[in-house]
Amino acid sequence: MPLVEVENLRIDFGGPPAVDGVSLRLEQGERFGIIGESGSGKSLTALAITGLLPEAATASGTIRFAGNPLPTEEKTLARLRGRHIGMVFQEPMTALNPLMTIGAQIGEAITLVGRDAVPTAMPALLAEVGLEPDHARRYPHQLSGGQRQRAMIAMALAGQPELMIADEPTSALDVITQRMVLDLIAEVCRRRGMTLLFISHDIKAVAVLCQRIGVMRQGRLIEVGDTATLLAAPQQAYTERLLAASRMAPPAAAPRRLGETLLRVEGVSKNYGQGGVWPWKRPVLQAVDGARFEIASGECVALVGPSGCGKTTLARLIVGLDKASAGSFVLGATRYRGSDLPKGLRADLSLVFQDPFGSFDPRRTIAQSVAEPLQLVNTLSASEQQNRVAEAVMAVGLEPGMLARYPHEFSGGQRQRLAIARALVTRPRLVVLDEPVSALDVSVRGEVLALLARLRAEHGLTYLIISHDLDMVGAMADRVLVMERGRIVEEGRPAELFARPRHRLTKALMAARLPALG
Amino acid sequence: MNARRLLAHPSLTIGIAASLLLALLGLISLVWTPYPIEQVQIARRFADPGLAHWLGTDHLGRDMLSLIMSGTLTSFTVALLAVLIGIGIGVPMGLAAAAWGGAVEWLVLRISDLTFAFPAVIVAILVTTLIGPGEANAVLAIGIFNIPVFARVARGGALSIATQDYVAAARLAGLGNAAIAWRHLLPNIMSLIIVQGTIQLSLGILAEAGLSYIGLGTQPPATSLGLMLRDAQSLFLIHPWLSIAPGVTIVLIVIALNIAGDGLRDALDPRLRRQELGHAAG
Repeated sequence: MPLVEVENLRIDFGGPPAVDGVSLRLEQGERFGIIGESGSGKSLTALAITGLLPEAATASGTIRFAGNPLPTEEKTLARLRGRHIGMVFQEPMTALNPLMTIGAQIGEAITLVGRDAVPTAMPALLAEVGLEPDHARRYPHQLSGGQRQRAMIAMALAGQPELMIADEPTSALDVITQRMVLDLIAEVCRRRGMTLLFISHDIKAVAVLCQRIGVMRQGRLIEVGDTATLLAAPQQAYTERLLAASRMAPPAAAPRRLGETLLRVEGVSKNYGQGGVWPWKRPVLQAVDGARFEIASGECVALVGPSGCGKTTLARLIVGLDKASAGSFVLGATRYRGSDLPKGLRADLSLVFQDPFGSFDPRRTIAQSVAEPLQLVNTLSASEQQNRVAEAVMAVGLEPGMLARYPHEFSGGQRQRLAIARALVTRPRLVVLDEPVSALDVSVRGEVLALLARLRAEHGLTYLIISHDLDMVGAMADRVLVMERGRIVEEGRPAELFARPRHRLTKALMAARLPALG
Repeated sequence: MNARRLLAHPSLTIGIAASLLLALLGLISLVWTPYPIEQVQIARRFADPGLAHWLGTDHLGRDMLSLIMSGTLTSFTVALLAVLIGIGIGVPMGLAAAAWGGAVEWLVLRISDLTFAFPAVIVAILVTTLIGPGEANAVLAIGIFNIPVFARVARGGALSIATQDYVAAARLAGLGNAAIAWRHLLPNIMSLIIVQGTIQLSLGILAEAGLSYIGLGTQPPATSLGLMLRDAQSLFLIHPWLSIAPGVTIVLIVIALNIAGDGLRDALDPRLRRQELGHAAG
């Protein structure tokens, strides 16, 4: 008998269906993965199985858990969720109560299922997810992202569930932590013989963890199959596209000739004082610690490292959003320390942000936003400005006719294209790209990366890419810098660096890399 | 934000309609009242509500309906001007605090702390001793009271906007703090300010009534709802209607404005809207 049986599930919010005719069966002890892009209905399907759909949703179809239809009464449903289903969410910081210690929250999950065994069950659970006993006394903000996700898993396991639903549990984590959490989930499922429903947009993570995979698109489950079969011979064109997008092709172009040094980073440090009444007693956090490197013009340099290693801070310093505590930058012939970057030079630098949704003012048209940096170039007349904007928008493959629209009318991929257009509108020499594709759907990532590569070739741009995605870096960069706790610990050409990592962190990053598909 | 969206919130429609109706009642008094409000006719004083005087007459024989219409206008004008003072000074202060930070922010916060420490009545007494009682005095006192309220709302809203990437993008584009505050922060906190404006409007009407009641606000022969309450106070046991009519009017105005304010918040607040979208995206 299958543990979960979904038949012809349809969910809508009063408009077109968000989930349309989904049927699936999860066998006891099976690890099933659903992949799909944002808005494909994969999370809604999981929520429907737990009976946690938002109130505005209307659902039809049948869901059976262990042979019985899902109870309609809230109390029975809650008991079913507490005892038989464990859930792990995407963002552990918001899924955990910030005012309760981890131990109290796990304890609550244990008592909720009606067992008085907190003192004995707690240490076992903590050990099972790889947390120290004294972690139980800490609050969520005192733990790292990976530890928080472990705590979430411990809570999900507290009720000895038969089914664990993990909804994008690793997409907020960096590569190394992601791998550890995935391994932990796999191990726990194996040991407990637990059924897993794993939801992700990352086909590689699903491939590592799951025995069977379902592909969702626009509310429909378009393909289901065993992992090996599905990856080797996808039946649907869409699955094939997803697979192709996650295999990054190495750059075809030969390494181009590099010009002279464009940017020199000379021992830059950035300290933040934290809390404390007396300024001189405050503990100092060194976000960037004596970083030193050079970027030649025409080069594409990648800066990789785990989250919190200071790579984004360094990027903000370079483009002049913040001021370095020590050291300086030399751009061309000008020396600056960050926000004192002379206005005339600002046009030479630009930054593409990670999140395409936050990087445009919702109350201004795209034309206004894209044209904004042009005021750095004083010599342009109004019509020249318009031409520049139109040119930049066409360069990223969009129509100038779209310029009168507002940001919410564009998809994530289009917005990131527009963000690139804005970064290019002043014809900068150095473009800093902060995780340029990590917020985008897999199928769009390839397009945006190809666009970046084309623009670089056409305009002779220099890139500094900030990322934790080694596959992307390997495909794009001429040179890779590895950063740990504010220091650059290793550098080299991607092929050599990935083949023979020397530093401990680089080795860890390489080891955490998910195996390439087929 | 289109009209249909606004109409989807019934409380908003009711609140705005009621507020506008009451404001209109006041505005009509500019061009027409059933009787001139200065007309004192002791002979017809304390008339009961009837056909000639819908709401009766007061102790000087003035028509109550005319007085209430005119008083409503005074209340609205005073409260509205006070809100404009609050927005005009408070919002730039709050924006400056968020955009510049550091010493500017410290200064703005301390100034608003200081202003918060003085209730409107104290300010009104101060202003009265300086320039004498009157409507302008009430406007000034309530306006000063409104400044820190708007400064805090503007700063709070702007701080959350200031962390957005598009503000960083504007900084990269070479925009100064003032330009960022004007182009990016202000438009995005406008809805917060409108909502706070409605709430301060209703508080201002209450405050004006209070100030007039203790004799620091509107002076006769002009009238306001608070002044009517004061005149009727000593007669409450004999002619309770004279207190009830203006009192109920104040209550109605305040309720209407509060309903409109709550509705506006629901309809305008982008955070609430984004949450809806987030849930829908699932």
